[in-house]
Amino acid sequence: MTDGPLIVQSDKTLLLDIDHPLSTECRRAIAPFAELERSPEHIHTYRLTPLGLWNARAAGHDAEQVIDTLIKYSRYAVPHSILIDVAETMSRYGRLRLEADPVHGLILVTTDSAVLEEVIRAKKIQPLLGARIDKETIAVLPSQRGQIKQSLLRLGWPAEDFAGYVDGQAHEIALKENGWKIRPYQELAAEGFWHGGSGVVVLPCGAGKTIVGAAAMAHAKATTLILVTNTVAARQWREELLKRTTLNEDEIGEYSGAKKEIRPVTIATYQVMTKKKNGVYAHLDLFDSYDWGLIIYDEVHLLPAPIFRFTADIQSRRRLGLTATLVREDGMEGEVFSLIGPKRFDVPWKEIESQGYIAPAECIEVRVNLTETERLTYATAEVENRYRYCATTRTKRDVVEALVKKHQGEQILVIGQYIDQLDELSEVLGVPVIKGETPVKEREILFNKFRTGELTTLVVSKVANFSVDLPDATIAIQVSGAFGSRQEEAQRLGRILRPKSDGRGATFYSVISRDTIDQDFAQNRQRFLAEQGYSYKIIDADDVFQGKI
Amino acid sequence: MEMRSFSDYLRSIDDAAFLKLFASRPDLVIPVPPDIASLAVRACSAPSLARAIDSLNHWQFQVLEACVSLSEPFLLKNLTAITDRAAAKALDHLISIGLVYPSDDGMRLPSQLRDVIGNEPAGLGPASMVKLKLSEIDDAPQDAKKVLERLVWGPPRGSVGDIKNPGPGVAWLLEKKFLVPLDQRTVILPREVGIYLRGGKIHKQSFVEPPTLTGNKRDERQVNLAAIANISTVLRWVEELLNFWADEPADALRAGGLGVRDLKIISTHLGVDESCTAFIAELAYLSSLISIDADDRIMPSNKFDIWLLQSPAQRWQTLASQWLITSRVSGLVGRLESKNVAALGPELDRVNAAKVRAMTLSILNDNVGIAPDLTSFNALLAWRTPVRRNSSLQEELAAWTLREAEWLGITGQGAISSYGIEFLSGNDLNVINDDLPKTVDHILIQSDNTAIAPGPLEHEISQQLAMMAEIESRGGATVYRFSESTIRRALDHGKTGEEIKNFLAKTSKTPMPQPLEYLISDVSKKHGKLRVGNTSAFIRCEDTSLIAQIMNDKRLDGLALRRIAPEVVICDLDASDTMRILREAGYLPAGESATGIMLMGPRANRAQSKPRPPRVIGEVEIPSEDNLNAAIRALRTGEKSTHKQTHLRQIANEALGALPRTTANETMDLINRFIVQEKSLSIGYADNNGSVTHRIIDPIRVSAGALIARDHATGEVQSFRIPRITGVAPL
Repeated sequence: MTDGPLIVQSDKTLLLDIDHPLSTECRRAIAPFAELERSPEHIHTYRLTPLGLWNARAAGHDAEQVIDTLIKYSRYAVPHSILIDVAETMSRYGRLRLEADPVHGLILVTTDSAVLEEVIRAKKIQPLLGARIDKETIAVLPSQRGQIKQSLLRLGWPAEDFAGYVDGQAHEIALKENGWKIRPYQELAAEGFWHGGSGVVVLPCGAGKTIVGAAAMAHAKATTLILVTNTVAARQWREELLKRTTLNEDEIGEYSGAKKEIRPVTIATYQVMTKKKNGVYAHLDLFDSYDWGLIIYDEVHLLPAPIFRFTADIQSRRRLGLTATLVREDGMEGEVFSLIGPKRFDVPWKEIESQGYIAPAECIEVRVNLTETERLTYATAEVENRYRYCATTRTKRDVVEALVKKHQGEQILVIGQYIDQLDELSEVLGVPVIKGETPVKEREILFNKFRTGELTTLVVSKVANFSVDLPDATIAIQVSGAFGSRQEEAQRLGRILRPKSDGRGATFYSVISRDTIDQDFAQNRQRFLAEQGYSYKIIDADDVFQGKI
Repeated sequence: MEMRSFSDYLRSIDDAAFLKLFASRPDLVIPVPPDIASLAVRACSAPSLARAIDSLNHWQFQVLEACVSLSEPFLLKNLTAITDRAAAKALDHLISIGLVYPSDDGMRLPSQLRDVIGNEPAGLGPASMVKLKLSEIDDAPQDAKKVLERLVWGPPRGSVGDIKNPGPGVAWLLEKKFLVPLDQRTVILPREVGIYLRGGKIHKQSFVEPPTLTGNKRDERQVNLAAIANISTVLRWVEELLNFWADEPADALRAGGLGVRDLKIISTHLGVDESCTAFIAELAYLSSLISIDADDRIMPSNKFDIWLLQSPAQRWQTLASQWLITSRVSGLVGRLESKNVAALGPELDRVNAAKVRAMTLSILNDNVGIAPDLTSFNALLAWRTPVRRNSSLQEELAAWTLREAEWLGITGQGAISSYGIEFLSGNDLNVINDDLPKTVDHILIQSDNTAIAPGPLEHEISQQLAMMAEIESRGGATVYRFSESTIRRALDHGKTGEEIKNFLAKTSKTPMPQPLEYLISDVSKKHGKLRVGNTSAFIRCEDTSLIAQIMNDKRLDGLALRRIAPEVVICDLDASDTMRILREAGYLPAGESATGIMLMGPRANRAQSKPRPPRVIGEVEIPSEDNLNAAIRALRTGEKSTHKQTHLRQIANEALGALPRTTANETMDLINRFIVQEKSLSIGYADNNGSVTHRIIDPIRVSAGALIARDHATGEVQSFRIPRITGVAPL
């Protein structure tokens, strides 16, 4: 028994005691092969997964290194079965290789013909294969490169991809570091991605994912397609790229509902990509309209299904996914990894916070009591209307009012799900509201006013969940949400995490109706952030009214 | 005194030799035989000899085969000539365990030994009846050489198309008597020819030395570290399994044992695969930590409580020592190729399990620091036990033993650990207590509603925590998750919210996060708001003073009234009895239906249960005409077929002559008598399908439950299994 910071559990989770002096060193050592699952205050949880181990193999780590690391930092003896499992899992990698062959095009080569025999008999694989070349080689349909990699992964025989990536059409892009510097973790993330080929970078909201994208483009020096969630985000990307890189206005195009520009760097929205005309996706040609050297997926956790499928067919191009919260309530995280590529970089939110790159935030759950009549109405409401009812109660309005008053002078966002509720709040507070039907132009004007301080309070619907950059917002008040969505909660907190010019912290209020499903959903919503180490404080609505907080 | 027989030999040996004999063949002294003669009989009996042969290693068995292929009496030099010089030592061993014995004129074998070994030891045929000129073999024609090549390494029998019309090679060999005809189609190679062709030796290769065990070298420290981790894990598994069954006892199958579903449930609960789960369940069962009670529920026994109080070393020893000697094989559970065998069920016993286990462990013990490679391990095992009867499972048993030894921590990383060595030599195991990770008495609660015990928790604390939180991850540390349902469970167990909070605050090294505190208060506030109970009738009255009156009425004590609300009283009697008693006491109750409507009018009283009229005994009911007709038809058909069969049997008997029928005892008696008198017998003999045939035979001897006799019909010597002989009659 040593006194290391790591406890290796028999279910393949690794518990890292972060109060231990060796914890930082250990974190670095295990990061290449273990996936970060949770990072609350004291003990971080990592997990050994086949995917993680294979990624480590791909990055040049062998099983011996992994085992040595585990043994070196482990507090207790490492279960033997885990060591065996690590060695076995890692030895599966590389028995199959995808290679580019001058004669046959894309081929699948093996060092172990039994493995090849096994996989070519699999039902899912057969349709992807071409002619058998010899005992150890078989041709693969070039268009199925992504599909076959994905299917092989599921079979437990990951293929090492030597076929390489197309360089795309070269286009000079460089970072323009005038008056700012790329942060160390951003550089690490961009490099991690570049060496891995393709993959997902996970960074907290407000930690500057756009810069990672820009840095990746500077690595690729090629034409780039950027896919973002909406037009506002597209324009923000454009501005950011103009500011941070050597690109000029003519080199960046916007491909959205409003404009259809195709330039060396094109920013398209998911919405336009998934728009159907006469039952077919009308704009997917965009993927072929340039010889793209790099495709960036912003907020990759929102990647819509058609793009999933399309991505599988463009496996020979480099792909970078960016997100803060790779949790999908539909459980499609795995799909994202297999289509875009594995997680290349992940870092606990609190670590970035401690480095000062995101604002420290306090999360407060304000519980309001329903009045007697409200309780009765709630109790007898139809099940499908219950959440809506308890999330939009009258009492919440008073609490919001009190909170806005208390934080007068600060930049406040009031965020909600239900338009009626938002309209009402906007009226009561006397501030504008931004919702789905608000035209893009007006949205931009309002956001700009908010940024300049002309407006201090804004009521927004879920349109502002993502990618809206509001650097000086310090207070967010959430009145209702999309049921128990964990990533929504995190994204909303993300709106106020940009470091403030005066170093102030941010406060996130979530107003909840006590003893209703609102409270149950809140618990689920908070899980992601709690796992990132954000501890919610629960207060009573009366405390707000009496000014006790 | 002339010394020829085995009993003569036994009379001549000293105590030390007896000691050695009995030590290696304990069946000879259990029970203690009355005299040397009966000892000799027992030692020469086939089962005892077979058991002794089982204990031989490959080399000793080869030497024994060589002995059998020599004619008695033989000398050591005859033996070494056809084997190897090292045979001397092996022969000493064979003598010491009574498989060979020296007599005045050389070595001899116990009378039944040849039967036990079989007719063709080492693939050699019988000795030739005539003197052979073996050197002529070298000049044999090409065809003959080919035939010899086929037969030389056994089996020595070969079949030919027709013995009267053989091919040129066979003809030459038959002529020279290098092949002997056995029957119409079979020829056999005489022993001398076989040995000559084998170059004067019996075996292609003499396996004097055991094959070396290969495998990975392991560092002692790492082995012990891994083993101690395994030990703590197995103790945890057993404890968790039993705690689980204490809460939710499993139901044993009707055929005995644990159902597949239950096995899966525990497997998921423990987070191990099903074979490991079966092993853990069996381990608990062997150590009497669980019992299967009268209504087939599998639950921890009270020995479990005692076990929990013991030190880890004691706990482990209890498990390991039972595992060591058991004949039950948990590895059989859930094997793909066989039918499903249930853990804890009646079908897990295998006779050779403990033996193979002991041998596997002793091999490990002889090779400290090596995690054996399975192929090499099996080779060594096969060398040690070349002729085990029912050895079909041997390799699997050994593999399972290796796997289970690892689970138990007897090995670590596949090599035997110092704990394993101490355990196998029966030494004190207290060192386990010192080497196990120290227990911790605290947890760390985090804001995501998890708590982490950064090491093995003290028993009391872990029990408490298991009640109020779900275990999410196990191993050196334990991760607990709190949720509404787990807090509710603790409340159901009679904890109050305050108690839970105090316990957590006391046990946690970190401050309790506020959300958890709120969670506990919220749940405890809601817990028990709705109350549920059993009752059979209620009394409702809007006049609370009347309710007060009946509550205080002494005459109604029998109703055991309980007031659960100002206007509602419940009682344990059913509604009609309650009404009757109330009426008797002078009240005027009315019945109320389930929908709250007053029941009007006198209601006739009816029993609630289904009627079950008494059975009629004595007089038999007269069946209907249809039934009677059917019965008659059945009778007639039966009668016809019986008649027909009897008739057929008669015809058959007349054709064949009557088959003799005797009882089992008569059969044995007659056979024994006629062997002595050397007379021909007529017997009935049943074949595999149960049809009996009539045979005329000359009995020769009785051997291992079979009668060896010459069958007149074929002219061959054949063995007849005694239980199949339906009857014997002299001719």
